[in-house]
Amino acid sequence: MPASYIPPWEDLLRVLPEIVLTVGGTIAMVLEPLLRPEKKRRLGWLALAALLVALWATAVAHVFAGPAFRAMIIVDGFATFFRALVIVVGALAVLCSLNYLERERADSGEYYALVLFSVVGQCLMAASNELIMIFIGLEISSISTYVLAGYLRDDVRNNESAIKYFLLGSFATAFLLYGIAWIYGLTGSTDLSEIRRVLANPELAPAGALVGVSAALMFVGFAFKVSAAPFQIWTPDVYQGAPAPVTAFMSAGPKAAAFAIFLRVYMTAFEPVASRWEPVVWLSALATMLVGNFAALVQNNLKRLLAYSSIAHAGYVMVAVTAHSEIGTAAAMFYLVAYAFMNVGAFAVVTHFARERERYVNVDDLAGLAQRQPVTAALFALFLLSLIGIPLTGGFFGKFYIFKAALEANLYWLTGIGLLNSALAAYYYLRIIVVMYFHEPGEAAATLAPPAPALKVALWSSAVATLVLGVFPSLVLDFAGKSATLAR
Amino acid sequence: MLFLVASGFLLAPLAPVLHRRWPRRAGWLLSLLPFSLSAWLFLHARHLEEGARRWVYPWIPSLDVALSFRLDGLSFLFSLLIAIVGGFVVLYASGYLEGHEHLGRIYAWLLTFMASMLGLVLADNLIALFVFWELTSLSSYLLIGFYHEREAARAAALQALLVTGLGGLALLAGFVLMGRIGSSFELSALEPQAAALTSHPLYAAVLLLVLAGAFTKSAQFPFHFWLPDAMEAPAPVSAYLHAAAMVKAGVYLVARLTPTLGGTPLFLSLVAGTGALTMILGAWLAYRQAYLKRILAYSTVSALGALMLLLGLGTPAAVKAAIAVFFAHVLYKGALFLAAGNVEHGAGTGELRLLGGLARAMPLTAFAALAAAASMAGLPPSFGFIAKESLLAGALEVPPEAPWAAWIAVAASALLIAVSLLVSWRVFAGEAGKAAAGAHEASPAMLVGPVALGTSGFLLGLSPGLERLLEPAASVVTGAPVPMDLALWHGWNLPLALSGASLAAGLLLYAGRKQALAALGALDWGRFGPAVWYRATLKATLKLADVQTRLLQSGYLRGYLTIVVATVVGLLFFGGLRRAGWQLSAPAEDPGAVETLVVLVVLASVAAAVVSSSRLGAIAALGAAGYGIALIFLLAGAPDLAITQFVVESLVVVLFVFAFYRLPRFARLSSPASRLRDVAFAGAVGVLMSLLTLAAAGSSLHEPISNYFGEWAYLKAHGRNVVNVILVDFRALDTLGEITVIGIAALGVYALLGLRRTGGGA
Repeated sequence: MPASYIPPWEDLLRVLPEIVLTVGGTIAMVLEPLLRPEKKRRLGWLALAALLVALWATAVAHVFAGPAFRAMIIVDGFATFFRALVIVVGALAVLCSLNYLERERADSGEYYALVLFSVVGQCLMAASNELIMIFIGLEISSISTYVLAGYLRDDVRNNESAIKYFLLGSFATAFLLYGIAWIYGLTGSTDLSEIRRVLANPELAPAGALVGVSAALMFVGFAFKVSAAPFQIWTPDVYQGAPAPVTAFMSAGPKAAAFAIFLRVYMTAFEPVASRWEPVVWLSALATMLVGNFAALVQNNLKRLLAYSSIAHAGYVMVAVTAHSEIGTAAAMFYLVAYAFMNVGAFAVVTHFARERERYVNVDDLAGLAQRQPVTAALFALFLLSLIGIPLTGGFFGKFYIFKAALEANLYWLTGIGLLNSALAAYYYLRIIVVMYFHEPGEAAATLAPPAPALKVALWSSAVATLVLGVFPSLVLDFAGKSATLAR
Repeated sequence: MLFLVASGFLLAPLAPVLHRRWPRRAGWLLSLLPFSLSAWLFLHARHLEEGARRWVYPWIPSLDVALSFRLDGLSFLFSLLIAIVGGFVVLYASGYLEGHEHLGRIYAWLLTFMASMLGLVLADNLIALFVFWELTSLSSYLLIGFYHEREAARAAALQALLVTGLGGLALLAGFVLMGRIGSSFELSALEPQAAALTSHPLYAAVLLLVLAGAFTKSAQFPFHFWLPDAMEAPAPVSAYLHAAAMVKAGVYLVARLTPTLGGTPLFLSLVAGTGALTMILGAWLAYRQAYLKRILAYSTVSALGALMLLLGLGTPAAVKAAIAVFFAHVLYKGALFLAAGNVEHGAGTGELRLLGGLARAMPLTAFAALAAAASMAGLPPSFGFIAKESLLAGALEVPPEAPWAAWIAVAASALLIAVSLLVSWRVFAGEAGKAAAGAHEASPAMLVGPVALGTSGFLLGLSPGLERLLEPAASVVTGAPVPMDLALWHGWNLPLALSGASLAAGLLLYAGRKQALAALGALDWGRFGPAVWYRATLKATLKLADVQTRLLQSGYLRGYLTIVVATVVGLLFFGGLRRAGWQLSAPAEDPGAVETLVVLVVLASVAAAVVSSSRLGAIAALGAAGYGIALIFLLAGAPDLAITQFVVESLVVVLFVFAFYRLPRFARLSSPASRLRDVAFAGAVGVLMSLLTLAAAGSSLHEPISNYFGEWAYLKAHGRNVVNVILVDFRALDTLGEITVIGIAALGVYALLGLRRTGGGA
């Protein structure tokens, strides 16, 4: 063993995004008590700056791609892809939060620091190639998110959301940890490549049933984090109760990062035993799509509706996971990007429309929005059309790519039911568009002030990204395709 | 070529601006685009004999998706008609909706729709075709829902979008499968592989999926119901979408894919069978409607059925007939829809009962409608006559598989003759109806379209040279040159005789419509029709959704926990333990007396925690259980782990006490039954965990790490006490971390203490 505890500088560069974000979050925490309440908004801009620098740092880290810290961290295309994604989601969430917190009179450095720390965890998840690292990343991300869900302490909805998220989340993480312990016991390693080597070698491989047990236990943890059925149950309550910008953040960033580790673990370590877990993921994908879409049909609360729809979208990504091929991985990656922009965009509109104490969060409240604020309504319609999967939006190519991957993996039934689900989903998204465009303006739409500049930036950048992904998908698709080959 | 397709998309956003700037002249200006596009196409007509021309613009190379366009006989004919009718429709809309505040918007949507339609018929890449296909659905949704103040218009628009959208998804699946089998999405690359495609095991699936898309779009039975309901749209929209362009997309697709997927018995029976059924059903339903536009809608359904029938039969004669019928139908049905719009506009109603004798007030509209209706009825010398002759000839020449085709064609023709009289003679001639009093002629912008389309449909039968337009289209479908002879007079032959017979029957049906409806009217098909199924399905789906949501999302945390626990137990049991290839083995050595005692204490504490009626007691009991487990660690030779566990347990108990202090008193809220259920679930988890532990004990795990520490403790760290060496040397950083964690937790406890003392906080 070398006695040096100072890591080589390449290793440090490879975790530069995490370093930048941690420093940013710490500065926000330190400055927080020193600033007068009306100046705390500046911490939001600080967080935004930290995120932008982290985005740059991600690019730097990618230039020095390779393993770091004894291969616990690995910077490859896949890691860079998801790091960039979660950082962008974090930035959009901060942009949505600025005015929200001011409106709720809850501006504080704590909030922005928590967002940054959560992104740190997600970046670690994206880049880790080892189970302990994955677990640490997951916990950093989750704990910050638990707190964010209950951020408005005086709001009972926030309280309920946070306690449910925390209790069920810890419960699921315990299963994950147990699964990690099992696989370590069986293979003697927590390194994904090493686990894969042992499992693929018929002479070394432990009893299949025990590997199945550990894969199943870890599946529980991952499925909970991506809200795949039957572990999706927490999602609607938590998404509905949490502050709207936090929900926007939760529904995209942590979910994408959770899918990143899900894919990495199941596509590398557990890939040799794919025939064992494929039926489970197949069933879960199916149930996730059905449960999400069916439940969304009858919702009237926008946040709850979008929560169920986010479950359904997780189901589509699960279809890509079930395909367990490189094109499936690439499809999942592309879909998560498209989903992040359209979903954060949709939640940004909800944030804007809900106003103080989130009074207006019902579908019917949107009546006549198109007449009062045609631009806001058009942007919302764009996000919804993308969620449906209409061509020339990112959602279309995402779905197309996923179903193509599924058909190439001979998943005919799953594809068929997935397509039927898309039709089902069209119904509830269109209902929102109908209310916005074809109903007479109600009180809620009539009293709506124009969106604040920061929110406008969030809305427009999500919209532009959604369109660009729909018109020039190659920009992201090619990178995803190249990065889908994971280190083994 | 890209400009041809994109120009409509580019001009669309400018349309509202133009409309605001020149409210009166915008329609004339905007219609210049479609007309100049058709002129451009016309100039290209002479290249058609040289074969297809392709333009390829790369789009997503990694998915083999390109914006490739192909101009051949078929796409030429379709795009030419789309552009010409589009021009007339834009012009017409400027008059029909004059002064409407959203006229600019409808221009924009019409242009978008036209561009999507052009892209659809010109695309050579399946995925590009699908993209345009969906864009036509979307823009038609906006166009049908234009009168959005009306509930019916909104429902109709949604229904049209859901039905065609569902079909569109099937189509996408079919296309992806086709691409997979042929390893290309380019139509021109798939056509040479027709034999491989039609003999592939997935051929039936591909065909069904593609046809589902085509049938929903072209309103074939049983999806025909959305088309009449979509008549809520403004007249120019109906004329364009529901006569000339959108509903023809399905027909176009079937024609386009005939060389690739056609020629099999399955293709013949599915396409021809559905077409025949739709043809006769549509004709009958048209005959019994009471509103002008609904009559036209159902007669369109019938004509689309005829086109499908002919394409399904697929013989050269049938294909020739399909192209001729298509051409005739676009011209006369476009004119009739626009004329119907004039009637609604000028007389204020489209209800047949109130109309009659309008020719005096609206001479030009009457002229256009009569000319178009003559073509629809197939009277010489109109082009419709030629189309009908070839339709009957095509149906007669039919292979023995479909002897019914000719009968259905004759019966439907007879009904359609009656219908054409209904929409022309009944409305414009005869006694003045109630609505005739205030009727007035339409404005010039609204007359150009119907008159031009109507007269050209009537007179083109006389014009020579049409073969040059239609022949290339038919040749593309059959894959071989088809000579067409579009003369009015073919001598005395069977089609002519049948034509005469259907004319006579049609006149009879028109004269005896009241009696016929009274006799057959008792049969109300509507109650069993697919529209009812559509509504029932929608309702049942919503109901199911409601029930499912209430079952799964109770909102109670314990309900959620139950689901999680039950799944985990099921997953582990069925996923691994059931097929266990290992044995559960008891530990090799018997536990000592101390261990047994500790285990008993742990068990007793757990039992106490479960039955305890006070929170404090339960917490203390849990703490005792935790200490017991730490003791076991200690006894098993893991003092470092034991110490950590002791500290953590103490902290947890303290934190619990402070956190639970403010909660209300313990109360039993659950019923005995649900408690019993909880016991069952908890028991299942306990059994599972015990099994897992035994499994772990029984399986040969890797070499324990303690050997390594024991071996190297003295050599590397110069310490004889292994535990000490581990704590302060091998895992020094871990220890530091643990100390930090405990320190922070202690700070938390201190904060909680402070909170309690001041009695503050929330």
